[in-house]
Amino acid sequence: MTAVIERPAAPPVRAPWRDRVRRAAIWAALVFVTLAVVRQVTGANALTSAGTVNDAIGLAVPIGLAALGGLFSERAGVVNIGLEGMMIFGTWFAGWAGYQWGPWAAVLGGIAGGALFGLVHALATVTFGVDHIISGVAINIIAVGATRYLSSRFFLGREDGGVNQSPSVPLIGRVGVPGAGGPLGTLEGKHWFLVSDLAGLLRGLFTDVSLLTILAVLLVPAAFWLLWRTGFGLRLRSVGESPVAAESLGVPVYTMKYAGVVISGALAGLGGAFLVTVYDGKFLENQTGGRGFIGLAAMIFGNWRPGGLAAGSALFGYTDSLRLREGSAAVHALLLFAAILLAILAIRAGVTRRWIPAGALAVAAVGFGVVFAVTDQVPAVLTPLVPYAVTLVVLALAAKRLRMPAADGLRYRKGETG
Amino acid sequence: MTADPTAPGPPAVELRGITKTFPGVVANHDVDLEVRAGEVHAVCGENGAGKSTLMKILYGMQRPDSGTIAVRGEQVKFRSPADAIKSGIGMVHQHFMLADNLTVLENVVLGLPGRFDPAAARTRIGELSARYGLGVDPDRLVEQLGVGERQRIEILKVLYRGARVIILDEPTAVLVPQEVDELFGNLAGLRAEGLTVLFISHKLDEVIRVADRITVLRQGTTVTTVEAGSVTTAQLAHLMVGGDLPTPETRESTVRDEVTLGVRDLSVRSDAGRDLLSGVGLSIRAGEVVGIAGVEGNGQAELVEALLGTRPIATGAVTLAGEDITAWPTSRRREAGIGYIPEDRQRQGLLLTQPLWENRILGHQTRPPSSRGVFISRRGARKDTERIVAEFGVKTPGVDVPAFALSGGNQQKLVVGRELSGSPKLLVAAHPTRGVDVGAQALIWDKLRDARAAGLAVLLVSADLEELLGLSDTLKVMLRGRIVATLDPATVTPAELGEYMTGVATQEATP
Ligand SMILES: Nc1ncnc2c1ncn2[C@@H]1O[C@H](COP(=O)(O)OP(=O)(O)OP(=O)(O)O)[C@@H](O)[C@H]1O
Ligand SMILES: [Mg+2]
Repeated sequence: MTAVIERPAAPPVRAPWRDRVRRAAIWAALVFVTLAVVRQVTGANALTSAGTVNDAIGLAVPIGLAALGGLFSERAGVVNIGLEGMMIFGTWFAGWAGYQWGPWAAVLGGIAGGALFGLVHALATVTFGVDHIISGVAINIIAVGATRYLSSRFFLGREDGGVNQSPSVPLIGRVGVPGAGGPLGTLEGKHWFLVSDLAGLLRGLFTDVSLLTILAVLLVPAAFWLLWRTGFGLRLRSVGESPVAAESLGVPVYTMKYAGVVISGALAGLGGAFLVTVYDGKFLENQTGGRGFIGLAAMIFGNWRPGGLAAGSALFGYTDSLRLREGSAAVHALLLFAAILLAILAIRAGVTRRWIPAGALAVAAVGFGVVFAVTDQVPAVLTPLVPYAVTLVVLALAAKRLRMPAADGLRYRKGETG
Repeated sequence: MTADPTAPGPPAVELRGITKTFPGVVANHDVDLEVRAGEVHAVCGENGAGKSTLMKILYGMQRPDSGTIAVRGEQVKFRSPADAIKSGIGMVHQHFMLADNLTVLENVVLGLPGRFDPAAARTRIGELSARYGLGVDPDRLVEQLGVGERQRIEILKVLYRGARVIILDEPTAVLVPQEVDELFGNLAGLRAEGLTVLFISHKLDEVIRVADRITVLRQGTTVTTVEAGSVTTAQLAHLMVGGDLPTPETRESTVRDEVTLGVRDLSVRSDAGRDLLSGVGLSIRAGEVVGIAGVEGNGQAELVEALLGTRPIATGAVTLAGEDITAWPTSRRREAGIGYIPEDRQRQGLLLTQPLWENRILGHQTRPPSSRGVFISRRGARKDTERIVAEFGVKTPGVDVPAFALSGGNQQKLVVGRELSGSPKLLVAAHPTRGVDVGAQALIWDKLRDARAAGLAVLLVSADLEELLGLSDTLKVMLRGRIVATLDPATVTPAELGEYMTGVATQEATP
C-alpha cells in the first residue's frame, strides 16, 4: 500500500502581524473620530483637549506597567494578584532611594523593590507550591504594613518625612517637541471638528511629557518583541502553556517561572516609582490606590497580550483623566461616547452573525444612550465610579474570546505528570 | 540490513541495573537494556510493565533510584532532558508533549539553543516535512490538530534536533496503516544514516516487522532480548503476558430494529467557512457497531464532536432513540445515554492530577452511583471505581492515586470502563484500544461485544483496521468530510479499504 495519503490542508488561523497592526490602527482612528463627534455634539471640549490627553498618558502609565508585569508573570503560568503589593514596595523603595540619590535612583530603587517581592512570590508559588492567589494576597497585605513600618524606621524625623510619607524626591525631567505647543494650542482653541481634536491630541502627546513616560511606552513593543520574537520569550510562554512539554524539551521550567515573576515584580515596582518621580515627588501611603489591581484587569481584558493591555490601560487612564480634570460634565459626555462605541461593536458582531454578543452589545449601547439622554449630568457621588464602569463594560464587551495561558495558576512539579 | 552484531564500537545505549520505585509501585526493578548502534530495538511488555518509565529515565525525565546509564560507552548522569538532548537522545513520548496555544513551529523549536529565527525554522520544517512525508504546516495552532497530526509533529520535533538515538514510545497507536508504513520507511532511512531507534509498540506484528531485536519487560524486569527474526507474534505475546493473541471476531449479528442514532444531512463549517463535514447521513441501530474508517483529518473528529454537542453544526439533525437532540447541550446528551471514549485520553478524558475515583465521576456528575441528588457520592464513586479497576484489570495501587500515576494503557482502560458504565444507549468510541496491550485489547473487545449484545449502539472510529473489520457490522469510509463508501466488513479486504480511504477507489455515496 503505497497510496499517497491525502492530508487536507487548512489555512493558518492567526492573522499575520501586519494585519493586526492595521486593525489596531483602524480601531484607534474610529475611537478618535467618535470622540470628536461626541465633543462636537456635547460641547465638552475637555474630551480631546491637550490637557486631558497629557494627563491620560500619565495616568495610564502606572496601570500599564502593572499590566505588563502581570503579562510576564501569567505568561509564565503564575497568577500574580500581588502586583498591587509589589507596586507598593516599588513606591517605598523609590521614595527611599530617591530622596537620597535623585529621581533616577528612585526608578532603580522601585524596580529593585518590586523585583525583590516578585522573588518572594516566585519562591512561594514555584518552589514551595503555595496557591498563587494566597501568596499574592499575602504580599498585598504585607506590603501595606511593611512599608508603614519601614517608613517609621527610615523616614520619620527627616525633613518632610513621616510614618506615611518619604522626604521629597525631585521629579524626573519633562520634554516636548520644541515649538509645537504654540501653533497647536491656537488650532485647538478654534474647536473645529476633527482638526482641533487632532491638534489637542498631538499637543497632549508631544509636549511636556516625562522622560519616564517615554520609556514606559517603549516598554510595550519591547515586551512584545521579547515575548514573541526571542527564544527566551518562547521558553517563558511555553511554561505557561504546557510546563510538561517544555520540560520534555529541556526548558528549565522553574528558572523560567522565576524569571517571569521577578520581571513582573520589577515592572510593577517601576510603576510605583513612576508615581513617586512623575506625580507626587515623594512616597505616600496608599499612593498606588489599587492601580495594581486595575492593571491586572487591563491585562485580562487585553487578552494577555501587550497591545491589548496597552489599549485597556489607555482607556482607564483616559476616563480617569476626564474625571479628574472636568468632573461630572465630561463624565456625562463619556456616556454618549460609550454608547456609540458599543453600538459600533454591536454592528461588527452583527455583521459576523454572532447574535448573542451583538445583542448584549446593543443592549449595553442603548442603556448608556438612554442614561445619557435622560440625565443632564452624572450625580457627584457617581462621578468617580463612571469612568471605571465605562471602561470595564467596554473592555469586557470588546474582548471577543479571552484565552488565558493554559497552565496559568496551576502548580507544577517536576517529573510528576506526562 | 541488520546491524552487524560484531561491529566494533560500544553500544549506543546501555542501561544496567535500573531500579525505579513510585509510591506503592516498583516500576523498574534491576532492568538491563543494551541497544547496539544503528539498530532498531523494540521494547515490549504489558500495560504497566515499566516501558515508558525506563525510556523516561534514559531521557532524563525521571531519575532512577539506582543503576547506570552509558551512552556510546560513556557513563552519563542525566539531571534533566536537556542533558539527554545534549547527548544526542531524542524522545517521542507516549502522550503528546505539545502546547496547544503555540504554533507548530514554536512547539518544534522550543528549547533549542541559539537565536530564535522563525524564517529559518520554517524553511527547515518544510524540508523535513517534505522529505519524510509528514505534511506539517508550521504556522497552525496545535490546538486545531488531531491526534495523527500531533503525532507527526512529535516525530518532527525529534528529527529537527538531529538526535542520534531516537526513542519512540507508541508512535503508531493512532496512525492508519498507510501512515505507519510511511513512518517505518522513514525509520529504515534513519537507520541507514546510522541512527539508533528505540521503539515501543503493542502491535506485535509491527514490532517483528521493523525491529532488529526485541527486549521484553514483565512487571518491571527484563525477561529476555530476542532477535526479531526468530520469534512469532504468538511467541512474543507469550513472553509478555503468558497468554495468547486475541482475534476480533464478530459473533452472530445482534442488530435490532430500533434506530438508536439517526444523523441526517449533518454539516460542520470551520470558522473560516470551510466545509469540514458535508451532508453526512448515518443511522445506527441498537446492537449495531458502525465503524468509521479514514485517514485522520477527514472529518471524523468533527463528526464525533457534533454528536457530542461540543461543536456547533451548520445544518442537519441528530436523533437519539427517536428524540431530536440537535439542540441539546452536551450534559443533557450524556445524561440521555451517550458514552464517549475520546481520541486523546489525557486531554479530553481525564483530570491527570485528580484521583481515579474523581475521574470516575467525570461526565457522570448527575447520575448514580457517583451522585446522590445534588451531592457527589464519594462512596458510590469509589466503590464503582474499584469495580472498574477489577473488571478491566487496571493496574494501580488504589483508587486514590492521581490519574497521572497510571501507565498509558491503564489510563485507557479506566476511561473505557467509565464510559461503559451506567448502560449507555450509544457509545462514541475513538480509538478505544489505543495503547492497551494485547490482553487488554481482547478484554475491551469482549466487553464491547457484550454491551452490543445487550443493545448498545456503537460508533467506532479507529485507525486499527483489524479492529474496524473485526468489530463493525457496517463500515463507512470518510474522505474530505463526506461518507464516500459503505462496505461490508465481512467481505472487504484491508487493501480495498485502503483504496477507499485514500480516494483511489470510489463508490456512489450511500446515505
Ligand atoms: N509518575 C508516576 N507516579 C506514580 N506511579 C507511576 C508514575 N509513572 C508510572 N507509574 C507506575 O509505574 C508503573 C509502570 O508504568 P509505565 O508507564 O512505565 O508502564 P508502561 O510499560 O509504559 O505501560 P503502557 O503500555 O500502559 O504505557 C505503572 O504501574 C504505573 O502505575
Ligand atoms: Mg507507556
